[in-house]
Amino acid sequence: MEDKITVRDIFWKFLKIGSFSFGGVYAMLAFFERELVEKEKWLTHEEFVESVAVGQMTPGAPIVNTGICIGYRLKRLKGALATIAGQSFTGTLLAVLLAVFYVKSRGNALLTSIMKGVGAAVVGLVLSIVYKMSRNTIKDLGAALFALAAFFALSLFRLNPIGLILLSGITGLVVYGRRR
Amino acid sequence: MILLKLCGLLIVINSLTIGGGFVMLPMLQQEFVEKHHLLTNQEFLDAIAIGQVTPGPLTVMNAVIGYKVSGLAGAILAMVSSYLPCIIIVTIVAKYYYAYRESIIVQSSFRGIKPAVIGLLSAVAISLGNTALVDPLTFGIAIISFTAIVFTKIDPSFVIIGAGILGAVLL
Repeated sequence: MEDKITVRDIFWKFLKIGSFSFGGVYAMLAFFERELVEKEKWLTHEEFVESVAVGQMTPGAPIVNTGICIGYRLKRLKGALATIAGQSFTGTLLAVLLAVFYVKSRGNALLTSIMKGVGAAVVGLVLSIVYKMSRNTIKDLGAALFALAAFFALSLFRLNPIGLILLSGITGLVVYGRRR
Repeated sequence: MILLKLCGLLIVINSLTIGGGFVMLPMLQQEFVEKHHLLTNQEFLDAIAIGQVTPGPLTVMNAVIGYKVSGLAGAILAMVSSYLPCIIIVTIVAKYYYAYRESIIVQSSFRGIKPAVIGLLSAVAISLGNTALVDPLTFGIAIISFTAIVFTKIDPSFVIIGAGILGAVLL
C-alpha cells in the first residue's frame, strides 16, 4: 500500500495540514491523526503514536518533527523533505509577506500602536508557555533547582543560553545518569 | 558573512531546541538581540508575534528574523538552516527509535535540559516584559492574554490579533 503514495501526495497532504493548523499542539495532532491514519490509512495508530513520540524527544518544533518522522517512514528522505515543505509553505510565505510589510511601514503610528498591543500579548503568551511547561516538567526538587539555576544564570549573570542548555544536559547526565 | 553567521547560529539553536518551539527564544534573543545587535527587543517581540499568528510552527519566526537581517535570501536560508538539524536528527532517531528511547544518556540529559529551559524562558519573559509592558494598559493586555491562553481553549493567534486591534484603538 505504501508504494502507491507519492512524494507529491505527501506534500499536498502536509500543505493542507500546515495551512489550517490553528489551535495548538493537541488540536494539530488530532488533525494529523484524522487525515493520515483514519482517512488516508498511510500509517497505523501505533506508528502514528511512535512518530509523535519521536517528534517530542527530538530538538525542534515537535509537530514539524512528527511530520518529518512520518514522511521518512513513508518515502525516506524525499518524504521527510515533502512534509517540511508542505507544512511550512503557507506559514513561511505569510511570515515573509508580513515581514516585508512590517519593515516597509516602520515608523507608521498605527502600526506602532498595533505592535504595542501585540507585544504585550506576546509577553502573556510566553508566560503561559512557561506556566504550561512548568506544570508538566517541574515535578520534584531536582527539576525545580535546574529551572532556578538556569533562570539566575541568564537573568543575573547573563550567561549564554546555548552554553547553559549544554551545561544543563551534562549536569543532568552526571546527576541522573548513574542511578539505576 | 552575515548570512553565514545567520545560518550557523540557527543550525546550533535549532539543534538545542529541546522541549518545544518556544525553547528557541532564549537562544535567539541572546544571539540576535543582545550579542550581535541584529534586532531590537521590540523587533524580536514582533517576530514572535508574526511566527505565532501565521499557520504552522513558531519556527517560521526565523524567516522574519532572516528577512530583517538580510532580505529574502536571509528568510529562505533561515528556514533551511532551522530545519536542517531537525531532518538529520529525526531521521536518525526514527531509525533507531527503541535504542534512543531507552538510552540513559538521552533520558538523563533531557531531565536536566527540560526544566532548565523553563528557567531560561522565564528570564526571557521578564526581559520582553521590560520592553513591552510600559503602562497599565499594556500590563492589562499581558494579564488578559496569559489568562485567556491558560484558562480557555482559545487559539493564541486570536489573542494576539485581538491585542493588535486593542492596541490600534487604545494605544
